[in-house]
This record gives sequence, structure tokens and C-alpha cells, in this order.
Amino acid sequence: MDSFLHSEFTLSESGFLFDHGTGLTYTLNETGRFIFQKIQDGSHANNLVELVTSEFEVAEDIARKDVDDFFRQLKEARIIH
Amino acid sequence: MVVFNVLSVHSMFSQLLFAGSSLLNLKIRTDDYTMTEKRHYSKPTIIRHTVGVMNKYGRPPATVPMNRLVGHEVKELVENYGSPLFVLNVQELRDNYRDMSRAFMTRYPKAQIAYSYKTNYMKAVCSILHQEGAWAEVVSGFEYDIARNLNMAGENIIFNGPYKTKAELMRAFSEKALVNIDNYDEMQVIEDIAEELGTVLEVGIRINMDLNSPPWHKFGFNLEAGHAFEAVKRALASGKLKVVGLHIHVGTYIDDLTIYSRAAQGMVEFYRYIKEQLGVTLKYWDMGGGYASHNTLNWAWLPAEQTCPTYDHYAETICPILLNGPFAAEDAPKLFLEPGRALVDEPFSLITSVAAQKRMPNGGRGIVLDAGMNILSSVQWYSYNFQTGQDSGSMIEDTTVYGGLCMNIDVLRESASVPQVRRGDLLVIPHVGAYNISQSWQFIYLRPNVIAIEDGEVHVIKKAETREYVQEFEQVPDTFTK
Ligand SMILES: Cc1ncc(COP(=O)(O)O)c(C=O)c1O
Repeated sequence: MDSFLHSEFTLSESGFLFDHGTGLTYTLNETGRFIFQKIQDGSHANNLVELVTSEFEVAEDIARKDVDDFFRQLKEARIIH
Repeated sequence: MVVFNVLSVHSMFSQLLFAGSSLLNLKIRTDDYTMTEKRHYSKPTIIRHTVGVMNKYGRPPATVPMNRLVGHEVKELVENYGSPLFVLNVQELRDNYRDMSRAFMTRYPKAQIAYSYKTNYMKAVCSILHQEGAWAEVVSGFEYDIARNLNMAGENIIFNGPYKTKAELMRAFSEKALVNIDNYDEMQVIEDIAEELGTVLEVGIRINMDLNSPPWHKFGFNLEAGHAFEAVKRALASGKLKVVGLHIHVGTYIDDLTIYSRAAQGMVEFYRYIKEQLGVTLKYWDMGGGYASHNTLNWAWLPAEQTCPTYDHYAETICPILLNGPFAAEDAPKLFLEPGRALVDEPFSLITSVAAQKRMPNGGRGIVLDAGMNILSSVQWYSYNFQTGQDSGSMIEDTTVYGGLCMNIDVLRESASVPQVRRGDLLVIPHVGAYNISQSWQFIYLRPNVIAIEDGEVHVIKKAETREYVQEFEQVPDTFTK
């Protein structure tokens, strides 16, 4: 799963994200940070919805749509491929 | 009134960068700590930092949900009355009227507000303002008829505008309305009416001055060019008209107080001159409308909260100058004010629903709403704010807000700070009461309900359109269908 991320990233506790490859910086909200960390930890994309619903107060269908949308954002930002 | 500090936006930004300066290489796992209950959820979001100067839309972000309007759950209002939905806070409208009236009457006791109907001539809106004591200011026979239909006496109606038919003028004079003459052709028609009625008619003359750029020269007779003086002289020369009023309207959304002070000064000097030269005694002078509301103009750098004068500012600018006019204190002419947007803009909100969100080719975010510029035509002037109607988390993103019309120009705002929303989420657009409803067009969609809330009670003051209503006056000749 390592090749999932485009380059090396550093993620702070406050949700500040630094892309070592491009030098760009981002802010993630709490949920976004949780998912990103799971990606960094090597979680498989298919498991993310379940991880989110067990951690946060949210229905599965909403989480699924949101995680999809979040992945789209990450792809468009060329953070994952 | 809340005054926001632009600097706070800057300092937020620097805090954000500061947070980033203490980078941690984190390896936290969820099993490192125990949880008693699940965490609060908001839509996962990532936003790229852009470095640069604050843009001209530098408003404080509005992440605080506006999930209640006039004491009612926004969500519930939409469930009951649909989306989009115009909502009038009746008490706020009353308070605006009382506040403005007080500001002027304390400084000029003979001040009288004549509400500019064109701004929003829904019967309920006009009724509330008349209940509070407003006269009607109308600019067409249609508006005149609305006022009379609401039982406004003709003598409490001011009839303005560049085009009035003879029949409309005849009705107005017969019912003792105040008529301000816009041009010589109209003057001639009024002389004919005086002749027919066999009486001398009292009239007002609308004047304009070189006050702003571009100047409002379309209406009335220009002062600097000498046309205004000629017009008064010409009116008196017929022997059929008596000039008892002067009218000026300096423009709309005028937040530059010096325009009002120069207009008032011009009125005073002109009155002095026509009094000396022509023996005119005024019964009224009318300073028109144009007072700004708390909406930010598209080309403004600062938010309206910082630039919009208060009613007291306007009154303090205008009244002392007028009181220097050529009359004994007890003979002061009546002072009319014709506010429109300053009264009705803020008490109205529009609740809309998010129809879609999309990523634009430039990486930015776009959202599509179920309301378009057909019911929000003031987007050509205003940079509206879009407040979330539910808890949408604290992540704000620069967003292009599109209306729901199938037209490329239907953009409600090029760049707005909008929190993370999904399809079906509600956004509230505050301060939409002026011009949007009276200038709305029926196009593709049916126009929505308008509700008014007072003392906790919800009243539908305009029902949503139906297909039958829209097509009521259409006819298909038989030969087209055989
Ligand atoms: C003669 C006259 N009076 C009053 C108004 C109301 O203007 P506002 O809504 O800017 O107060 C207008 C609008 O342009 C107007 O033409």
C-alpha cells in the first residue's frame, strides 16, 4: 500500500499536513486527519468506511459517500493515485 | 451591529501557519487510547493552503450554523414550506422602520417615511410598513393601484417616475396624491389635466445634481445646467400649476454620506433661489431613497459591516443642513424620505438547499444550489454570504456558488467562504429582501413560498407558484392542435 501515497507526508496532531515532495501544505479536519492517518498506516481503502463508522458518530451510507468524496479530493490534489 | 475586524482574519491565518511550524512526525494509533463514546463526526476534508495577501472577499468565515431563523428550526421550515424559501422576520422590519423614523424625526420633526414600493411590493410587506406609519412611494400606475388597494389614501401616496400615463395622473390628482414631475412632456399633460379639472394643481419638481459618477441624470431636471430653475419657472408661467415640492433621489446603495450632504445643500440653495426669484413656498421636500443596507457590494473591499452608515448617520448628515433653509422654524416644509433597501433587505433571508458539489478544473470547489438568479437578481450587485443551516464542521473553503438555472451566467458568487456541505444540506442567505422578489422572473422553475414569522407564528405571505398559475393567461388556438 506504500505506493498509494505520492510522496512522503508529515501530519501533525492539529491536522496540518506537509508534502515533502512538493513542499505544499494542507489543513485536514479531524475526520480527514483520521482517514489520512489510516492511509499512512497502510489501511486498505475498502476498510476505511468501517474504520470511520466505528470511530465516529455517523451512519454508514453517509460515511461511504463522504469517504468517496474525500478520496476524490486527495486524487485531485495529487496526494494519492 | 456587529463590527468585525479584518485583522482577525489575518491573525487566524498566521495562527494556522504557526500551528504548522511545530511539525510532529506522528505515529498515533487508535488503540493507544481507550474511548468511551464515538467522536463527533464532520465531513472529512482537506484544504490546500494558498499564500498571498488577503483577497477582497476577506470576511470572517461563518462556520457557526444558522440552524434557526426567527426562533424556528431551518430544517423544519423547509420540511413544511419547501426549498428554496424566503423568510421574513416581521419584528426586524418593524424595528427598522421605527429606528429610521426615530433617527429622522428627532432631528427634523416633520420627517415622514414614504416606503419605496418597487423594492418589495408584496402586500404583506407594504401592510406592515403602513401599519407602522409609512406612506407609499410609487413609480407606476400598477404600484399606485397596489397602494390604493391596501386602502392607502391618495394623499399619503407619492407618485414618482419618468413615465406616468394621463389616466394614471388624472387618478392621482383626483385622489390628492403628491406628484413629482419628471419632464416637460409630463408637465404638459398635467396642465391639460388642470384645465380639464378646472383647477390649479399643486405639483413637485424632481431635480438632479452632479453628485456621483455616473450621474443620475435620467430623472428630473438638472440643477447645475439651470434646467431645474427653468422647470419651476415654466410650471408657474402656465398659471395652471403651483410648485409646492422639490424631489431628489441621489442613487441607490449610497454609503458615501457626502453625497447626501451635497444634495441637501443643493436643495437648500435652490429653495432659497426660487423663493427669492419666483416667490415659491414649499410644502415639502423629498430627499428620496438610496440608503445602504448591510450587504457588501461586489466591488467593495471592505464588508458592509464596516462601511454601511446607520440611520442616525444619514439623518445627522441631512437634517441639520435642511433646517438651515429659508423658513422660520415653524414653517419648515415636510421632509419625505423614500427608503427601500435600507428597510427591507435585512429582515428577509433565503433558505436554499445544496443540489450538488463539484471540483472545478482549476482545483477549486463549486456548489450548485436549488435557487438561481431568477429569484436572486441582486447578485449583480451584492456578494451575499452563505451560512450553513446545520453543523458543517469548521472547515471553510473558497467556493464558487452556482444557481440552479441551466444557464452559464447563473453564478450567485464567484468566491465565497462556504463550509463543507453535501447534497441536501441547507444554506441560509441573509439580507435578501430588497428587489429580489419584485424583480424575480419565472424561468424554468416555479417561484417559491414566502413566509413571514412574528410572535412565533408562521404565515405564508406568498404561495409558491403552480404550473396552472403560470399558464393561466396562455391560450392555444384550436387550429394549433387539430
Ligand atoms: C425615486 C426613488 N425613490 C426611492 C428609491 C428607493 O431606493 P433604495 O432602495 O436605494 O432606497 C428609488 C429606487 O431607485 C427611486 O427611484
